[in-house]
Amino acid sequence: MGHLCLEGNLAEIFVLIDEIGVVAENGNESADMSIQEQGASAPSASSLQRFLIVTISGRYLALDAGSVEGVLTIAELEKREDLTMQGVVERTVSLVMQLGNADVPTHPTTRAVLLTDRRTRGSVRVSDVHGMLEIQQSQILPLPPQFSGVERDWYQGMILFEKSVAMILNPAWVLEAHEGSDVGQGRETLCLPVDAWATGVSDGRTC
Amino acid sequence: MLRTGEKGQREGTHSPWNCVVFSVGGRRLAVKTLQVAGISPWKPSIPVGSRTPFITSVVRQDQTVLPVFDLASLLRLHVQGSHPLCLRIKHPLGDMVMCIDEEVPVLHTLERAAVQAYRGKDLPAEGSYANGLDEIPILAISQLGSCMK
Repeated sequence: MGHLCLEGNLAEIFVLIDEIGVVAENGNESADMSIQEQGASAPSASSLQRFLIVTISGRYLALDAGSVEGVLTIAELEKREDLTMQGVVERTVSLVMQLGNADVPTHPTTRAVLLTDRRTRGSVRVSDVHGMLEIQQSQILPLPPQFSGVERDWYQGMILFEKSVAMILNPAWVLEAHEGSDVGQGRETLCLPVDAWATGVSDGRTC
Repeated sequence: MLRTGEKGQREGTHSPWNCVVFSVGGRRLAVKTLQVAGISPWKPSIPVGSRTPFITSVVRQDQTVLPVFDLASLLRLHVQGSHPLCLRIKHPLGDMVMCIDEEVPVLHTLERAAVQAYRGKDLPAEGSYANGLDEIPILAISQLGSCMK
């Protein structure tokens, strides 16, 4: 089925990532790409966090591995009827970037990352899946305090990735922030495109 | 590119103000040198889809990620030149950067008597000074962002 499951095909996801680039940019300590050196300085498991790195319209985003169920193509996603029978809310979230960037096209081969929390499942269409990045908790950068709007609910921090920055998405926001818009559709199971990023566009530019 | 001499500059009641004068969209603006952390070539910013007015992206400088204050948007202007500059400023919440025109900023020493209240309301200013017929506002860095809600 091609389901890139975290449990079963973790190694496959690791292979996807450009290890050299990650180590070069983040340092050997920060980008531990599954090869743990046998030494006293190895970071404790509790201090490590794993993120799935994806791009949407050319921008890096990081998704907490704990909230990622897997990666499917859109075609595969549409065939997954089992999820829609479990009484959970499921929605397809389109994280459209602002500033005129195009949405991720919905070709059958377009990938979607399956996210879940206890109550909700959802999928996010992405342009690319780069792989799993393991870093120390201390290397997660906080969102600068100058960002004082609702975006503080969207992001859990930032990661230096390659020569850019990956924003760590808050999966709870992705899955739950749009529940209100889905209510009233009269369907127990929903699979709705939610233009999440468009709701974040700042159009009030007056002091 | 342009570094400020942070040591030895004190602000007394009558001491002159040392300013960096730069331009955005051709408009001249000033900021106190004490509030300038550096000037470098501009690198493309990374949008984050923020709703904070005028702070909607970040730039990466080595291992640091800094928020971008979009001064050009505040002034409803467009940065001029194909090689814009990055003005890094010291904000109370942490350093921020602004994209400014490619015209190289200049240092300017201002006698306190020349500082007057800024008459405009388009940006937060500590004051202004006259340069010919132009009124050059001196940015109130600490108010950038916070006054725009």
